This record gives sequence, C-alpha cells and structure tokens, in this order.
Amino acid sequence: MKPTPRDQNSCHGITRRSFLSDTGMGFTGLALGAMLFKDGIARADGSAWRPPDGRPHFAPRAKSVIWIFLCGGVSHLESFDVKPELNTFAGKSIADTPYKDVVKTEGKDVVGANPAHGNRKVLLPLQTGYKAYGKSGLVVGDWFQNVGECADDLAVVRSLWTIHNDHGAQLTWQTGRHPRELEHPTLGSWVAYGLGAMNENLPEYVVLGVPTGDCCGGAFTHGAAYLGPEYGGVRLNADSKKPLAFLKPPDAISYEEQAGNLGLLGKLNHLAGVDYPDDKNLRARIKSYEMAFQMQTSIPETLQFEKETPETRSLYGLDRRECKAFGEQCLVARRLVERGVRFVQLFHGGGGGGDWDAHSEIKSNHTKLAAEVDRPIAGLLKDLKQRGLLQDTLVVFGTEFGRSPGAEGTGRDHHPQAFCAWLAGAGIRGGTTYGATDEIGFHAAVDRRYVTDIHATVLHLLGLDSRALEIPGRKRLEMDHGAKIREILA
Amino acid sequence: MTTSHRRRRALLVHFLTGVALALHAAASGAAAVWQPFAPVARPAVPILADSQADSPTGGFQARNPIDAFIAAEQHKRGLKPRPEAPKEILLRRVYLDLIGLPPTTQEQAAFEEDRSTDAYERVVDRLLSDPRHGERWARHWMDVWRYSDWAGWSGGNQIRDSKPHIWKWRDWIVESLNADKGYDRMIVEMLAADEATPEDAQSLRATGFLVRNYKMLSREQWLEDTLKHTSQAFLGVTLGCAKCHDHVYDPISQADYYQMRAIFEPHWVRTDPVPGDTNVLKAGLVRVFDTDTNPPTYFLNRGDERKPDTNRLMVPNVPRALGGALEIQPVSLPASASRPDRRDFFHRDTLAAADAVLAEARGKLSAARKSQASDGELKELELSLALTEARRGALATLFEVEALEDAGKRGSEAWAAAAQNTVLRQRATAVAEARLTLHKSRLAEAEEQRKVDAERAKLVSGTNAPQTAVTTNNDDGAAKRRTEDEKLSKSLAAASSHRAAAVKALAEAEAQSKTAPGTNYLPRTAEQYPANSTGRRLAFARWIANTNNPLTARVAANQIWLKHFGQAIVPSPNDFGRNGKPPSHPELLDWLASELMRPTSGAQPGEPWSMKRLHRLIVTSRAYRMASTPDENNARIDPDNTYLWRMNSRRMEAEAVRDSLLYVSGGLDLERGGPEIDNNLGLTSKRRSLYMRQAAEKEVEFLKIFDGPTVTECYARRPTVVPQQALAMANSELTLNAARSLVKALSNGGTAAAAEDFPRDAFQRVLGRKPSPEELRLCREFIEVRKGSASGSQAQEALAIVLFNHNDFVTVR
Repeated sequence: MKPTPRDQNSCHGITRRSFLSDTGMGFTGLALGAMLFKDGIARADGSAWRPPDGRPHFAPRAKSVIWIFLCGGVSHLESFDVKPELNTFAGKSIADTPYKDVVKTEGKDVVGANPAHGNRKVLLPLQTGYKAYGKSGLVVGDWFQNVGECADDLAVVRSLWTIHNDHGAQLTWQTGRHPRELEHPTLGSWVAYGLGAMNENLPEYVVLGVPTGDCCGGAFTHGAAYLGPEYGGVRLNADSKKPLAFLKPPDAISYEEQAGNLGLLGKLNHLAGVDYPDDKNLRARIKSYEMAFQMQTSIPETLQFEKETPETRSLYGLDRRECKAFGEQCLVARRLVERGVRFVQLFHGGGGGGDWDAHSEIKSNHTKLAAEVDRPIAGLLKDLKQRGLLQDTLVVFGTEFGRSPGAEGTGRDHHPQAFCAWLAGAGIRGGTTYGATDEIGFHAAVDRRYVTDIHATVLHLLGLDSRALEIPGRKRLEMDHGAKIREILA
Repeated sequence: MTTSHRRRRALLVHFLTGVALALHAAASGAAAVWQPFAPVARPAVPILADSQADSPTGGFQARNPIDAFIAAEQHKRGLKPRPEAPKEILLRRVYLDLIGLPPTTQEQAAFEEDRSTDAYERVVDRLLSDPRHGERWARHWMDVWRYSDWAGWSGGNQIRDSKPHIWKWRDWIVESLNADKGYDRMIVEMLAADEATPEDAQSLRATGFLVRNYKMLSREQWLEDTLKHTSQAFLGVTLGCAKCHDHVYDPISQADYYQMRAIFEPHWVRTDPVPGDTNVLKAGLVRVFDTDTNPPTYFLNRGDERKPDTNRLMVPNVPRALGGALEIQPVSLPASASRPDRRDFFHRDTLAAADAVLAEARGKLSAARKSQASDGELKELELSLALTEARRGALATLFEVEALEDAGKRGSEAWAAAAQNTVLRQRATAVAEARLTLHKSRLAEAEEQRKVDAERAKLVSGTNAPQTAVTTNNDDGAAKRRTEDEKLSKSLAAASSHRAAAVKALAEAEAQSKTAPGTNYLPRTAEQYPANSTGRRLAFARWIANTNNPLTARVAANQIWLKHFGQAIVPSPNDFGRNGKPPSHPELLDWLASELMRPTSGAQPGEPWSMKRLHRLIVTSRAYRMASTPDENNARIDPDNTYLWRMNSRRMEAEAVRDSLLYVSGGLDLERGGPEIDNNLGLTSKRRSLYMRQAAEKEVEFLKIFDGPTVTECYARRPTVVPQQALAMANSELTLNAARSLVKALSNGGTAAAAEDFPRDAFQRVLGRKPSPEELRLCREFIEVRKGSASGSQAQEALAIVLFNHNDFVTVR
C-alpha cells in the first residue's frame, strides 16, 4: 500500500505555499474508487536503477490477479492430471507395471520423497471418477466437476515440480525459495511493488482465508521481505465485522468523533509542517491518515457481500453449508478486483500442515474439501466472465505439491516430483494443457517447469519484467525469475 | 571452466570494479580510493578557514574534529550548514537518541533555563550514565547481531531456531553497554567466552550471539548463517557468496570460506543448569562449547553439502586479504565447564530439591495418619517415605565421593570409605524401591481379585434370578458378561505375575545387600562435555578485536554513526566490499575508527574501544546539533543531504514509538531484564519493547507495523509510512489507554486550573515543545466543541489521542 505515487521529482523546489496547497488544509476524503494510477507504459530507459514508478514495463494483458492456494497438497492425479493407468494397475507395485522405469528417472533438481515416509510403490487406484469437459475435452476428476465446466477457460500446467518434500513447499510456491532460506518477497509483493494501486482507498495486495501455518512458512507466505512492509499482503477476514487489525476505532470513539479528531490532526500537522515543507514523510503521513480513514469504511463496504443478489450468492455457493466460507472469500475476491485491488491471495485449508494433506482416507478428505471449493471457484470464474472482468483478471489455482501415485494406506503421500496448477482469464489461452507427467503421474516428464515459471507468466501478463524490478544489493537468482510459459498465452 | 580461467575472470571483474570505483571517486572529488581492507591510518584533521561570517563555511563553529571533516566536504561543494537546532528540539533529539525516551516537561524546563556553556554536555553525560541508555542501544546492537528469541511450534515442544533462555544474552548486551565494556572485549565474549572465561557465567551469556544461529532442521544452514552474519556484523564482509564460488567482488576465495568454517565446525550449543533450579527447561544458561576437538571440514564443491571434496581437508584460518594471522592455542577447561552438574550450587540445589521431596513425603504421611486412610494406603506412604529418605542419603554420600574425586583423591582411603558408604546407601535405596514396588503390586493384585469376585458374584446371582427369557448362545447379555469375565481374569493374571516379579526383585536386592559392598558405586547420569576446547574461536575473536584488523573499528563506527544520524558513512553497513556503496566521508570514518581504538582527543585519553566515548564525541559535535530545517540552495546541490548540511528528520523506531506512548502518559514500567514477554501482550504490557518476544512469526503486531526489526537480518531499519500505522495509532487500545492515563496524570485532582492548562500541558508532554498560539487556540477550540457531546475528560482524552497521532510525536527533528 503506498500512500503516495512514487514520483521521482526531488522536493527541493517545494515551498511553504505549495506544501499547503498540495496537501490541503484539514482533512479531506478521497472518493472511493478514484483511479489515481492509470496504467500506461513506462519509458524505455536502460540507465541507472530507479524504483518502479507504478507503470508496467510493457503492454499488460491483465490488471489484477486472484491467486488461489489450497494448503496441504492437492492430488494432481485426481484433479487436473487424471491418470487412468492407476486403475489399470491398482494394487500392483510400480516395479510390476510397464512403467517400472519411470521411478528411476529422478530429475536432477527434484527432491525425492521423504525417506522417513518409506516407499509408496504400490499403486492406489483413483479415488474418484473423471470425465472430459468442453470443446477442449479437458479431463477433470469428479471432485472438481464445477470447475470442469469452465474447462475451456483454463490452461492447465501439468509438469510442475518443487524443491521441498514437506509443507515448507507452501512457502516455495509463493516465493520460489526453499523454506530454510526464510523470508523472500512473494509474487504478490512483487506485483504490489511493481505496479502499485488502482484504488487509493484499498490495499494493493490483500490476503483472504487462513494462511499457511507457522510450521510451513507462516507470515512469510504473504510477506514482502526486503521490499518493505508496505508491499506485504494485508490480511482481511471475509467478515465485515472484524476484517483487519486496528481497523475499527475503540467503542468509546464514534465515527463522528474520529472524523473530528482527524480534522484537528490535519490542521495541527499542517501547522507543524510549515517549517519542513520538503518533508516527504510528513506528506506521506498526512495521506496515510486519509487512506486509513477511508479504509475504515471502504474495507467493510467491500466485504458487504450480503448485498449481492440471491443468484450471485448461489453461484458462489453461499447458500450451501459446505462451501459458504470459501464462497464468501471468492466473492470478496471479485469485489476487491472490481475495486482495483491488484493481487488477491486466497488460502483454503490453511494453518498447520494444511487440510489437503491426505496421508490417509484421501477419498473422504478430498471429497469433503473439494466440495468446499469447487462450486465457489467455478462461481468466481463464471461471475468474472459474465461481468466482463475476466478479460482483465488473471485467476491462478495452485497448491504446494502433488500426491504420490503409490498408496500410503488409504491415502497418498507428499509428492514434490510432480503436480499441476491452472491459470484462467486475462491473456490466457483457455482450453489448453501444457506439459505432462508420465503415465502414472510420478514425474513431471515433458516440458518440466519450476514454480517460478508460473510467477514469470503472471508478471509477464501484468506487463512486468522481473529483472527490471530487481533492487541493487538484493541479487536474485536465475531460478527466482523463472521463465514465462509462452504456450499458454492467448 | 578451469581454475585459471575462473581466476582470470575474477581478476577481470576486480579490475573493472576497481576502475568503476576510481571513476566514481574522481567524479565525487575524493582524493584517493578508499581502501577498507587496508589497516586504518589516522588521517589528519582538516584545517578550516577561520569562522568569519564571509568564510566559505558560513561561520561554521567546529566543536570537535568531526566538524572539521564535515565542513571540509561542505566547503568543496559550496554547502552552508544549517544553524544549531533550538534547545527544545535538540534536547528531545538527544534524549530519544541516547535513552530512547523523550525528556519530561521538567527536564525540558531545566535545560531551557540552564544558561551555562556546558549545559548540553552535562545532559549528554547524564544520559550516557543512565541505565536506560544500555536498553536503548542494546536494541540497536540486537538488530546488528540478529537477536532472536526461540522459534518453533507445537506449543514450544519443538525448538527450531535459536533457543530458550537466550534473553540472558540480551541482558548481557544491556549490562555491557551500561558498563561501557570495551567493544573488543564484547567481541571476544560473544564469540568465545567459553574459551576465554569458561567459569564466568555472566560472560558465557554473551555466546548467545552464536546460539542464536541454532537451526534444528539443518546444521548446514546453522553454520552458513554463523559465517555469513559474523562476517557481516563485525567485518562488513559478505562472505556468504564464497560458499559456492570465489567472491566476485572482494578478494575472498571459496577456500577462505571453508577455512573460516573450520573455526566454527567444532562448536555446538547446550543449556547448563543455573543456581536455584535444577530443571534446565525452566531456567538455564544457554551457551556454546566445542563438542569435538578436531572435526573435519571439507571443501564443498559449489557449496553443495552432498559433494564434499574429501581430499581437501580445510585448516582453520582467516582470509589472507584481511591481514593478520590466526594464532590458535587449545584451551584446557576447568571441571566446572566439562561437568556443569558438579558445581557447588548444583549439588546444593539437587540436595535442596531432594529435601523438598522428603518434606512432602513426610507431610503426606502425617496427613494420612490423621485422616481415614486405609492400612494399605498408609503402608504405601510409609514405604514411599523410606525410599525418599534412602535416596536423599545416597545422594549426599555420592556428592562426597564426587567432591573427593574432583579434588584428585580418587583411590584414597577417604574416597574408598565414601564410595563404600555410597554403595551401601544405593543398595538400601534399591531395597526400599523394591519394597514399595512389591507393596503396590500386592495392592493392585488385591484390587483385580476384588473385581473378579464381584463379577463372579453378579454372574452367580444372575443365574439364580428367575428366567424371563430363554438363555441361548446368542444371548447378548451373557456373551458380554463372558467377555468381561475373560478380560478381568487376564488383568488379574497380569497383576499376579507383576507381584511375583516384585517378590523376586526384592529378594535379589536384599541378597545383593548382604554381599561385600566394594567401591563400585553408580555414578550420576549427567551430561559430560569435553575437557578441552579447540581455541579456534578465541583466536578468531582476538583477530577481529584487534587494532590491526582493518574492518572491525570501521564497521562499528559506521553502525554507531548510522544510528545517530539515520544515515551511515558507508551506506551499506554490512558490506564494505566493492559491491557495497562507497563512503561519503572516508577520512572521517577512518578518524572515528582510529579514535574508537586509540582515543586521543579530549582532555583525558580514555579507554580504548569505549563506545560511550564515541557517542559523546558524536552527539556533542556541531554536526549533530544542527537544525533539520530545509534550505533551497543546499537542496539543489545535495538533495539527499549526503554531506550533512542539516540534521535528518526521522521517524522513531517501533520500540521508541511504543515506549514513548507509555512513558509520556506515565505508564512505562522501567524494570530491567528478565525473560522475554509474550508477544501477544504487546498492547497491554507496560515493559519496554526490547523485552517483548521477538522471533520468526512471534512478534508484537504493533511493533511490526512500525517496521520493527526483521529477525533474520537487520543491519539497518527501513522506516516506512503506511496506513496500518495510522490505524494502529488511532485505534489501538494502547493509544486509548495512554490517553486516559495522560488525562489522569495531568488532571491534578480535577482542578479548574488544571483543566484550563490541559491543552498546553498535554502538548508539551506529548510533543516535547510548547504549542504556538495558533496550535493552542485550535486545541482549546477542539475541547470546547467536543464538550458539547462528551464529558470534559473525554474531550481531553480525544485531544490526547490526536496529539499521539501528531506527526511530531513519531518524528525526531
């Protein structure tokens, strides 16, 4: 959240008079939804480093991102990379199938399964049915039949791998780094840093749902690390009563009284600032108080999904017990991007290792959890589309790793060697699949991609060049930048 | 690529960066390229033109040599320094800087009235000897030295980063700064107190600097962090890159990295008992020690721990480019260090704990005798007491044996007698224990028997009862009863066999008692640590804390300058290498470094490595006393104030914001030291912020919002201005409670005069200055208007809240 546009004009020409006229006397509100930062193309300038000016580096395809993350590791095998061969060879050891060689071809950068978990070599059959959807004929597991109906809007990437075999991979998905390296900027914070706000009354980067737990990255999964806290995700509860820490004044202070307090504050700050007309922090602070005051109303307003029509509410599944909670998050996500928020990060099943971590009873686990998210996510895609928002909004669906083709009792183990994700909306060629795993879904086999390639794709669609965002003294690795997946772009 | 290729490429990069730096130096008018890796040579203090009004320096009054260096750079650029700040601004600045709290109204008034020429200097001396100074500056050094409380999860059962009790290192920092312990001494204690002063529990706390790097999940990462941050904190060298390849910018090879790693390879962490509590989970001294006298350190190809080059065994050493040599002397440790459980206090505390158990057993027995306890219960308590007494006796004689052994009298007659005595008592303990076990097993057996009898009785009565239904094999009730009966029989059989085993065990223990005792007593099971330490870390610490080390004093002086001015002389305080940023005042920095190591200026020569001395020198300079007001002409020449033509306006650090809120409203609890306070109490605890828990994912939300330190790395704070800060200040209960306390404190029993004065007094107290007539008018008007809808004290509270949110409250001018 930046209270001021990052103009690079030096302040030495500012006089007392211009200070007063620039910042206005007293407390002035800003209109909700004011589009202060219009997208435009930054001048190509290869000279010395400078901080981003809020404009994309090249023509963007997307303005906002909704970044959905399912904590615990969703089975790729039974969602968007269905493997019927698991039914054919169910109960057999991989060594006794025609695919015995796939296990041996360990990719050199891939972390193996946790040795403490033993070998998961006896194949577990698919725990749900599957069918093909749409013109594209995308095969989707029955757990995600509502999302399946949006098949022609999705571009599925089936060849992802990651570098941690435990839930620290949740952090890896957000930052690209191994959890032992702790805090690094998340994708959302790079977007906030690179592009800034489209609405001065709301944060640029909002987090909904219960994020990753302390075991597995915690606050780092929506932090900004060295970019600075103003670019970190602002956690909101999808609850208009208590959406943000310190958002509500103490009960003892009424709204009118607070407006009065801030009125006096504005006047006093102006008087005191006359001796320091070039003080950027003072100017920023005056604006930050204005925005904070706006947020006290703009955020609860944004969260008033009660005002949506019954049809819309039903589309997101708000009328169903099992998917009401996540449906509300998805609906709030739409309301946020509608109001110009850049990056909305949605967590499902957060805290601890993550709800999707189906080491046993994967059938009941994934049946229950998918019922919580399938309708809301499909509702979000359909709603964005019917409102014309999908052409400017990129929706990404991801998780930390896949699940093992081999059985762990009635469940599946962590599987960092292969998993899948999908993208939909702005700039995405719908109805495509990219990359492939082997026939039993053990390894990402064709067109292997690391998680930062998804980041690179998102940044590209937003018109950002991650190398141009780099900060001197904060050298990023080649791996951090990733490479965009050209084949799924429209 | 071959080694020679690599070297040639590295040389080329060196050459090119050297050229770039030289060009930069030429452009910025510096006389010569500054050489941070060359020893510090004390530069001559520039001679200034006299201080006439028409002189190029605009009548600059140098107060000490610092000003001469600053003025020389300004003169070159045609900058005219701002005048000295008004007294009330200067006093608030120096208070917040030196003790982290603003002056009280009385202190402001006293300073205002003091017209003596050394009024300011006397304030500085008083603040430097104020114990709150150590707390303030401890937090700065905690940033640089990466202080972290323990982190982990599962309710604290899994310690993943740092360790519990590490707050003792924080207290050591506070105490050391207050005592003005030499910086060289502090370095030695932090890196190697266990080798330098192994019996001094106070200085052992300092090794928390190393303990902090503990990482349960990866020893590799633990050592990597240790090397990386030790070199950045003390030497301003980014050694971390050399883990995988030769440093691209600085003359540090990958081999240098592993030689330095060998210095730390033997060390590990442990928690020693402390007097007063034998349970190290509850109270302990967490510290480092060498667990191995010569563990191998191999060169890791590309820094990959899976690819050690076992042909390249690395010898501990320091990078050659930094000069000096590592002089390693193995250290032989006193018994108290290798056997912490053998120290007097531990014996005392263990006996005291045994006495407490004994007293409890006696109390239970006498209480039972007065009550209606059964014979079985009474006997169990009697046997328990007997066992407790036997244990206490055996412990006492065991300690006698240990004392004789520690005195080198193993094998002596006295020892033999004590050892025999111990064996006898240990046998008596075994018998007492066997008796208690037997008694308990008999009681358990009787209980099982009783249950079986009761169940059988039920069965019998069930059979005799009039039959209402035909009993068949399918009868659920009967089947259930049969299973229950089988279960009970099994339990009874198990209890009987336990009893039989106990009978046998007692017989064996008694038989054993009748044999000749001998001297073969059972020693205590306690941790035993090596009796020697490699001395590698001590040698390394002495190499750092050495006046010949080119970087140590420069890096420290730069950090100190950064904290006083909000801007460092070398803007990259953790990187003095070629990838860092060149200094604005290289000669000033060298002079300060030299002054830190070998003080010469001032009336008395002073102690070397004294931080307080350097603080005094800096805050009494004219440069420090300047106003922070703008100047258009200067701003055109030097918009970033690189050459300090004015003081920088700054936002207080998170801790100062919270502490000041509590302090000006009269609520701050000035108790010093002690265990860290739960981070969830950030809004309600009244303690200073440096005592709040600070670890990965365990931070006070309020402090985090105000850019509190990042625990992983914080060589400089990055203050921001974000709306969350406005919300926290406007809406938190911390502010509301502070406002209420302030109104109470200023109400003076609710007199009309106090109410009249409130706006002026509150303004003075919160913002540290008198309001202007216009400001006072607005405040008065505000209260009058608010009184239309609220009580008088509510209106005053509202004004207090506004003042806490005032830009001038969080800003240091």
